Amino acid sequence: MMRAIAIAGFLTALLLLAVLEWLARRPGSRVPSLAEVCAYVMRYEVGPVPVGRIGVFGFWWWLGWHFLAR
Amino acid sequence: MEQPRDLTVEAPRAWDRPVVTVPVLACLSLVGGQLPSFSAQANLWTLGTGGALIWLGLGNRVPRRPAPVRLGRGAVWWVLPVAVFGVLEGATFALSAGDEFPTFSRLADPFLEDELVRSAAWFGWLAAFWGLVRR
Repeated sequence: MMRAIAIAGFLTALLLLAVLEWLARRPGSRVPSLAEVCAYVMRYEVGPVPVGRIGVFGFWWWLGWHFLAR
Repeated sequence: MEQPRDLTVEAPRAWDRPVVTVPVLACLSLVGGQLPSFSAQANLWTLGTGGALIWLGLGNRVPRRPAPVRLGRGAVWWVLPVAVFGVLEGATFALSAGDEFPTFSRLADPFLEDELVRSAAWFGWLAAFWGLVRR
């Protein structure tokens, strides 16, 4: 039962991601695409340090290592 | 007069085209897909490819697409899938119930044991990474 809840929950999250991306790519959409959200986050800087870029790159690097190397 | 960086468009470089980048990423992915989990080679390949992309992304070696100056209120919708995923992942991780209430990683592991699926996952990871570098 709990396993089914976990699988359904993760599938729901992935489905929501796909639906939002589809909505974002429609002409005149008010929802930004995931790439635009990432680009906006990556603009964040503290002084000369590109904190946003470092954070997003670091997260994506860790994600790849977690799933593909372990 | 100097132009703001977001308004300038650099000429595309010869190698910065899908006809070049896709085969390169595919080759890197095929190699990565052959490397077994928990091996030193897999760790080095992940750290090496990711490190190289971060090096490219933090320098000004690759032309970037202009980023939006602000996001509309519709951006709040992205919190929903992230929250669903985050709460569930946090709950499964905290309870540590194994296969009874598995984390996303635990569910993905059997699929990633297949070399073809693993290579496809590698390609998705690298392609998204390349997309981030160009942002």
